[in-house]
Amino acid sequence: MENKKIKAGITVFPGSNCDYDVYRVLNEIFGVRASFIWHKDEVKKLGGFDFIVIPGGFSYGDYLRSGALAARSPVMEYVKDYAERSGIVLGICNGFQILLEAGILDGVMLANISLKFECKDVYLKTLNFDSPFTCAIKKDCVLKLPIAHHDGNFFAADGTIDRLNKNGSIIFKYCDREGNITAGSNPNGSLYNIAGISNKTFNVAGLMPHPERSSEKILGSQDGGYVFKSIIKYIKEK
Amino acid sequence: MKKNTEKLFGLSAEEYDKICGLLGREPDDFELGIFSAMWSEHCSYKSSKVYLRTLPSGGGKVLIGPGENAGVVDFGDGDVLVFKMESHNHPSFIEPFQGSATGVGGIMRDIFTMGARPVANLNSLRFGSFSHPKTSYYLSEVARGIGFYGNCMGVPTVGGEVVFDECYNDNILVNAFTIGIAKKDSIFLSSKCETGNIVVYVGSATGMDGIHGATMASEEFDLKKNKRRSTVQVGDPFTEKLLLEACLEAMEKKLIVSIQDMGAAGLTSSSFEMADKSGKGMAIDLDAIPLRTSGMTPVEMMLSESQERMLLACENEKFGELKGIFDKWGLNCVKIGEVIGEKVIKFYYKSKIYKILDVGVIVNGPEYERPVKKPGYIEKMPELKTGDYKIPENLNDIAVKIATHPNIASKKPVFTQYDYTIGTGTVVPPGFSAAVLRVKGGAKGFLLDANGNSRLAYLDPYAGGLLAVVECARNITACGGFPVAITDCLNFASPEDPEIMWQFAEAVKGIKEAALKLNTPVISGNVSFYNETAKKDGDKTYISKIYPTPVIGMLGFIEDAGKAVTPFFKGEGGEIYILGRLNGGLGGSLYLDAAFGDFRKKPVGIDLEYLDYEVRLQNCLRVLINKGLVKSAVDISEGGIFTALAESAVTNPERNLGFDVRYDFSGLGIRADEFLFSEFSQAFIITFEKAFAGTKEINGILKEFDINLEKIGIVKKDGMKINDIIDLKSDKIKEGYFSAI
Repeated sequence: MENKKIKAGITVFPGSNCDYDVYRVLNEIFGVRASFIWHKDEVKKLGGFDFIVIPGGFSYGDYLRSGALAARSPVMEYVKDYAERSGIVLGICNGFQILLEAGILDGVMLANISLKFECKDVYLKTLNFDSPFTCAIKKDCVLKLPIAHHDGNFFAADGTIDRLNKNGSIIFKYCDREGNITAGSNPNGSLYNIAGISNKTFNVAGLMPHPERSSEKILGSQDGGYVFKSIIKYIKEK
Repeated sequence: MKKNTEKLFGLSAEEYDKICGLLGREPDDFELGIFSAMWSEHCSYKSSKVYLRTLPSGGGKVLIGPGENAGVVDFGDGDVLVFKMESHNHPSFIEPFQGSATGVGGIMRDIFTMGARPVANLNSLRFGSFSHPKTSYYLSEVARGIGFYGNCMGVPTVGGEVVFDECYNDNILVNAFTIGIAKKDSIFLSSKCETGNIVVYVGSATGMDGIHGATMASEEFDLKKNKRRSTVQVGDPFTEKLLLEACLEAMEKKLIVSIQDMGAAGLTSSSFEMADKSGKGMAIDLDAIPLRTSGMTPVEMMLSESQERMLLACENEKFGELKGIFDKWGLNCVKIGEVIGEKVIKFYYKSKIYKILDVGVIVNGPEYERPVKKPGYIEKMPELKTGDYKIPENLNDIAVKIATHPNIASKKPVFTQYDYTIGTGTVVPPGFSAAVLRVKGGAKGFLLDANGNSRLAYLDPYAGGLLAVVECARNITACGGFPVAITDCLNFASPEDPEIMWQFAEAVKGIKEAALKLNTPVISGNVSFYNETAKKDGDKTYISKIYPTPVIGMLGFIEDAGKAVTPFFKGEGGEIYILGRLNGGLGGSLYLDAAFGDFRKKPVGIDLEYLDYEVRLQNCLRVLINKGLVKSAVDISEGGIFTALAESAVTNPERNLGFDVRYDFSGLGIRADEFLFSEFSQAFIITFEKAFAGTKEINGILKEFDINLEKIGIVKKDGMKINDIIDLKSDKIKEGYFSAI
């Protein structure tokens, strides 16, 4: 299967602002056929997509709570249905927040412990190499990706964390350059350094760092590209 | 004439008389409101115009110079870059969060009004002394405001400057810069209205915020500053993001004939200026204006500075399609009038003609050539005699103090609050010389820098204006780019004071000469006067004034963004060279301030010979870089050669480094402290790809430009050593450098 036969849908809410970055990287760097899904579109056609990306931004201005309004937008009903039918859904940054607010992923996002917006490069350790989002990542490889968010401090009740852990659903943790999971390498106060999680069946994942901003050499890191390469590999091998 | 000048909203008694003469009677409240806004310093540039006209504004790659919402330069391949810098000083001092946020929002509107998608922001910020009790509040609120607006808009904030000085204790400065990219054949202007076009209002509804904002920004602060809060606008970046997308979509579909954003003086300036520039008039129905609150009077509607609004002209038959786009984005899109041939604006209110005002009368405000006088403090400025200062016993301690001074130290805690990676264009992030951005779909890129040196501008405003341009160019050249064009933000105290006006005239002259020599026309800009505040000390009142602060924003081009050079040392063993000449001095230096508490000594002479040399030096460095020979390059600026070396060592993001410098400066006839900390030298610290120095190729280039290159040391794994005068652990500087602010 050629990459150009893989179809990706990118949701666009009022206030989405990483939509075009994801679109460009998927189309031009990975050769996937990506297109936008406007939040009001009648998208019963979601079934035609091989995967869906909910990009970052400030959907609906992030008024009320980050992602809260977008989670109740019509298109999210279709996304929920798509996910329940094993469709692959990746939420990045605000997209992760939307998936949490929609109840598709477990947990909540609190404001960063600094109470400030944090834009910087972070290092990620991958904990599960079997998911559609991580299957092309080399074992023991520490990834460098940028974050840029105000509310990325992941929190969940003990029982939820246990369940995520047992299921292997905690897929990325913040770490230092050598791969050690330390307090100093946690950029936002996230519980157990959690940077990305999946649902129980691994077809839906959210992560705070931006893979679309680290898929080209000129930007200082191509590590984010592994996330997209994983999705493509998984779809091809399915 | 009216006796009560309190009610004139900043107009002088003479200006009021002139208005009476033009109207043949006294103005009513509506007319007075419009005149006071349009004739304000902020909108009319009445004190500065005569000087601004002298600046070079065309030639080279310039497509559109000053006069439109922003300037435009040709970027090749059918692309243009559109940029401008603007001040939002007064509002930011009253309410730093909203003031800085709406400053960023306003400048981005100026850019997308022209049809360009904003792709990067910079800002130049000045706060009071770092230890002043209110500085941390202003710093954190201004940074939060800039991030709040820029991050939500999805426009990366890629650089700028943060400066602390006690002259800003009572007047902070917030200068915001935006650059956008557009296609050459689809630039939108405010001067294209045609008779019969309909006048359309789009964006947020009009509220009571920001009324008299333009007049407020044209006055000094008195002792009642806190009563001015209602003159500050409130920003909503989410709405502006929608407005951006809707406008660009409508532009792409060619539904807009002419457009201007509602910035200072809101509907007043946008309607009168569009009409004037197009040589037309308008009929405007005030009943149609979307309002946030009932009971607003016509003058309040006209003066409101509510954010996220635009005025545009459109062909009548295309209005339906235009409205469809704004409906999709959930924004107001209302027909409020019509373009007419007669050069007047006819206002309708409650379905009747309310007022008819002549466009020319309102727009052609006064213009002054205000008196100038060389300030006494400059006349009396003492020469620097190093003999007057005892060389400090421990230069290591002073070196640490300077390299970790809040003005030198890393501004990471500020710029990490800005999203600088969104848009996937940022190749060199904030924190280095100039920001480097790539353009997708090719190799080419562009560079941005904003700079000013108010300590120098205070001692010698001509040199301060000149050096602001030169310093930006150095930062761009050190990355391998070539300077193309500039925008300026001229921040001064009251123009009614002849000494301030003299400072202004001198600074503009300095900018002019540097811009001519470096071939960087001034394509846009802004003047902010009245940055002064009445203060009370016991029974005494006095005026606290900022130093003259000309700030330059510069654009440079680079053929291959991926080949941009960064300023930090790359690894152990690299050979360190000085390219240029050590002709600086300590007058006006950070060293004098930090070590002796007084920088007020004559700085070195900066003149046309200085500029001639500068051009050769920068051309020489650019050739070396473009040949792929240079690994790192940084200019010697604030804090002198020691600071340039220390920063080159500690800012390497991957590894810890140091240096060992052995340099015999006895031939220069200077002391150790002069060697370490002199400023305004014309020199770069560079390291080479290999030990290239001495090769025929390098010598040929040096000879061609008549520039000196001298080896001074070597990059080490740790330790900062200079002869027997400096010996420090790298960590000692690094820790302080990254934690000072």
